[in-house]
Amino acid sequence: MDLIIEYQGQLLSGTWVTIKLALLSLVLAVLFGLLGAWAKLSKNILAQKIGAAYTAIVRGVPDLVLILLVFFGGQELANSIGTLTGLWDYAEISQFAAGVGTIGVVFGGYMTETFRGAILAIPKGQIEAGVACGMSRLVIFRRVIWPQMVVYALPGFSNNWLVQIKSTALVSVIGLQDVVYNGFVAGRSTRELFTFMFAVLMIYLVLTAISDVGLRWLDKKYSKGIVRSEDG
Amino acid sequence: MKFRKLMMALTATALILGMGSVQAADLRVGVEGAYPPFSWKESDGTLKGFDIEIAEAICAELKRKCVLIEQDWDGMIPALKARKFDTIIASMSITEERKKQVNFSDKYYNTPAKFVARKGAGLEISKKGLMGKRIGLQRGTTHQCFMEKMYPDAELVLYGTQDEVFQDLAIGRIDAQFSDSIAADDGFLKTDAGKDFEFTGADQHDEACHGPGAGMTVRKSDDELRMELNKALKAIRANGVYQKINAKYFEFDIFGG
Repeated sequence: MDLIIEYQGQLLSGTWVTIKLALLSLVLAVLFGLLGAWAKLSKNILAQKIGAAYTAIVRGVPDLVLILLVFFGGQELANSIGTLTGLWDYAEISQFAAGVGTIGVVFGGYMTETFRGAILAIPKGQIEAGVACGMSRLVIFRRVIWPQMVVYALPGFSNNWLVQIKSTALVSVIGLQDVVYNGFVAGRSTRELFTFMFAVLMIYLVLTAISDVGLRWLDKKYSKGIVRSEDG
Repeated sequence: MKFRKLMMALTATALILGMGSVQAADLRVGVEGAYPPFSWKESDGTLKGFDIEIAEAICAELKRKCVLIEQDWDGMIPALKARKFDTIIASMSITEERKKQVNFSDKYYNTPAKFVARKGAGLEISKKGLMGKRIGLQRGTTHQCFMEKMYPDAELVLYGTQDEVFQDLAIGRIDAQFSDSIAADDGFLKTDAGKDFEFTGADQHDEACHGPGAGMTVRKSDDELRMELNKALKAIRANGVYQKINAKYFEFDIFGG
């Protein structure tokens, strides 16, 4: 316990990196998820194909492989481009950017499926009714699709988010100093690995517990006026 | 008036030259921070250890500013090749295998490798004695090469870091561990967790696997830096800086023969 207090600065700064990483990659994941769902449900064949390829690749390859590929492979690629064009000698791909980018894009794939399923769950007649009333596509999305989609998507979304928070731990392999990396280094430096792993575990539990409260609030807010079968 | 103008011009030139040299002078060094006593991290986040002090001494000798960059062991060489830093000073042994990818300075230390087992376990260090025994070691190291070559019948259990090897040895998941003797002595035997354990057998060395010792790693294209590092290393050996750092961490000269 004394050691945890001694190293609390390291643990807290790591936790802060983990939170930033999780939130920023969530924003990216939601953006990619909406884009992906739109592409997969689009009538445009090319968009459908791109959407299908996207979810197939990012859901089919381990996140860890993608992170290593982006961070090390991407850096070598950036270096070669710089050397070939003569524009720059070395352009740093930061660990944080590589982490946010990879996790955001990977979880965008899962979000795509969650959003697609949620949109498909909305009765088609409602969208047709919107068209019949002369609503524009944007208005239909805002008034008919979005409020209902959120309700249908929330359970899947919550699941994705919790997995995503934990996936941020993967970035410690590229040396990004998140809570896992700092916990490991502190544990090895003091030779009290268990103590620090336990602290890291508790930090993750607190983070996921806080998210749970937030997600329940969202669920309540968007479920207003909806009668659920399980509630009777 | 003329004098003032001249002074201003001189100052400006000095500033420009100074700025230029500061930018070019930064030496970015990849370090591990999880391999005591060679490198570890204090609670305020500062890096400490033999490797770290050697890095600082080398930079001081080269009159370049040291920028220490922490990197996980498994990503060390990929990060060097991707130009994330210019050299690795992290107890990396000079080996033929690694030389296919990167280049090394002269060795800056060389300590023997040894087995560690529970006191009184009666482990015999021979092909027969180690047959089927579970031997723990850090993967991707010279020690893995050595074990695969010399004792192919032992069952190797591979770990990402040396500390995990000690953890599993302490709880009895492996029969013995094989590593650098200093890392084992300082990192385990002298600690509470290691009090029931001891070195078993003699020093182990195989030139092809272990090579000449630990060196500073540079990219193949960076021969100029490699020669500068060698020169700086010779200088700190000659002026006593190396010996001073050595004495701070170890009771004997770890430079080796």
